Amino acid sequence: MSVKRFDCPTALDRDSGRGLLEAVRQGNVAEGETILLNLAETRSVTSPGGAWLMEIASWVRARNGIFQLEGQSGSVAEFMELIRPGFTAEAPEPEPGDNPLQRMGGAAIDALDETRAFLRLAVDSVYWTFIAPFDGRGFRGGLLMDELYEMGVRAVKINFMMNFLLGLIIAMLSAAQLSDFGAVIFVADLTTIAFTRELAAVMTATVVAARTGAAIAAELATMKVQEEIDALRGMGLNVTQFLVAPKVLALLIVMPCLVALGMVAGIAGGSVWGIMAMGIDSGAWGRELLAAAVYSDIIQGMLKAVIFAYVIVLIGCHNGLRVTGGSRGVGLVTTRAVVMDIFAIICIDMVFAAVFYYVLD
Amino acid sequence: MSDAFIEVQDLVAHYGEQLVLDRVSFSVQRNEIFVVIGGSGCGKTTLFKHMTGLLTPTSGQIIHAGQDIMTLDEDGLSALQRTIGIAFQSSGLFNSMTVGENVAMPLREFGDMDETLIASVVDLKLSLVGLAGAQRMMPSELSGGMRKRASLARAIALDPPVVYFDEPSAGLDPIMAAGLDDLILALKRLLGITVIIVTHELDSIRKVADHVLMLDRGHVIFDGTVAEAEHSEVERTRQFFERRPDEAILQRSL
Repeated sequence: MSVKRFDCPTALDRDSGRGLLEAVRQGNVAEGETILLNLAETRSVTSPGGAWLMEIASWVRARNGIFQLEGQSGSVAEFMELIRPGFTAEAPEPEPGDNPLQRMGGAAIDALDETRAFLRLAVDSVYWTFIAPFDGRGFRGGLLMDELYEMGVRAVKINFMMNFLLGLIIAMLSAAQLSDFGAVIFVADLTTIAFTRELAAVMTATVVAARTGAAIAAELATMKVQEEIDALRGMGLNVTQFLVAPKVLALLIVMPCLVALGMVAGIAGGSVWGIMAMGIDSGAWGRELLAAAVYSDIIQGMLKAVIFAYVIVLIGCHNGLRVTGGSRGVGLVTTRAVVMDIFAIICIDMVFAAVFYYVLD
Repeated sequence: MSDAFIEVQDLVAHYGEQLVLDRVSFSVQRNEIFVVIGGSGCGKTTLFKHMTGLLTPTSGQIIHAGQDIMTLDEDGLSALQRTIGIAFQSSGLFNSMTVGENVAMPLREFGDMDETLIASVVDLKLSLVGLAGAQRMMPSELSGGMRKRASLARAIALDPPVVYFDEPSAGLDPIMAAGLDDLILALKRLLGITVIIVTHELDSIRKVADHVLMLDRGHVIFDGTVAEAEHSEVERTRQFFERRPDEAILQRSL
């Protein structure tokens, strides 16, 4: 079998290495031929130079040839010895991707696993919040006040402003339409009904999802990453009892209060526009407003508040406890928690709308 | 029935589809320092999390003082875990609490003590690990070595008969690491506890280990004393103790 010999330059670096590869490529190398590089003159090799040698070796291998070195001495020989495995090792093949059916199956199994974990957490949290304390198994009340303050009191200002401004916007929008018919007074009815039934609960839940939902997910995920959750379990303490139940109870207490505030704020926003900007008599506005505020609407809003609260805590905890990886994982599950929260809020609200407007009516 | 304190039989564990531990069997005697060694990624920490009931194995038995962990329900496992102290690799201290509150936590939960006594026990345990006076510091204010020691203080808060210690000297300077070794020896002598250590620090293995178990890619390749390990017939164990590299370090790690 024939051998083709090439002389390597004195200094094998980025440029001379590239030149060597070109020389080998254009050297009329036949299939299966042995390539022998003579390093006798070579005194120095840089990393890029060594990388070009690997490139030559892989080119030779692709043509079923044999790649050999000769004449190296001193530090060059030592360097060649270190990188020698690279001359024969193929870069690993990229893992063959699953076929579409496998991917679908995998996704279905993952979804099933996650649903099971979520339902388990849901049942566990109900037990540890509402049943276990009366079963003599205790409740972690110590952190409840902190949670109430953090989730509730500190959300008052932002929640008031969001609902107030939304009330203002709804009033502006509807007043512009209704004034054509001389029916501006009905803006009072509209904002009242909208906020008691729908908007206060949805707007407040959105604010709470962004504040509290994200905070819960990030807190639990960080605790998991730093082995705090393991430490808790290693002490024989129940994670749901210790971390989830206080949050469930706190948000269940706080959320209806925030939604009630949201109702008042939204209606106040509408009234400010109606009375101050549209110049409607405040007495007439007040009578109209009170007539539109009915118990069943308020109860519907409050019912939603309770369900939203439970869902936000559960989604936050569920995602936080499922974190994998380090700080990047924490960011991912936090984002995921907020996105899931907001999607869940809208879905639940839609179910409520369908049930209350069409089934119960 | 042997008189082993902890017995692991045919333990098989997976992460997803990847086999991490393959039919691992060994036993730990009372009041010994049992060291689990092995290269990075050989399944040491996974083994330790299975032994403490933090992970559920695919199959096998873990018998802890006569109780099979796998057959216990949640409450039974919790009760068993209260007799185990664990010091985690990244300390696992609760960042929202002070060092003192961290150590006091297991005492408050299970100790059946009044607050004055708890405070004194916390002082005592922190003194034992050389952290007297650190009660009011937050974990974030501590150095790496102090965090490990605080974590150890919490692990021994309830005077458990067995303490697990994951990588006690990883990331510590030699002086601090040697200090921790002395501390572990003292705790064994003074409190009569069994200590299970996961590590790959040669110096500390030579200093503290009564018994050595070596894992390689999920298999037990050596089980014996340190002296036996140094002259083991198992090439990989000798290589570990002689600190010799693999022929082609790059290729093996792929």
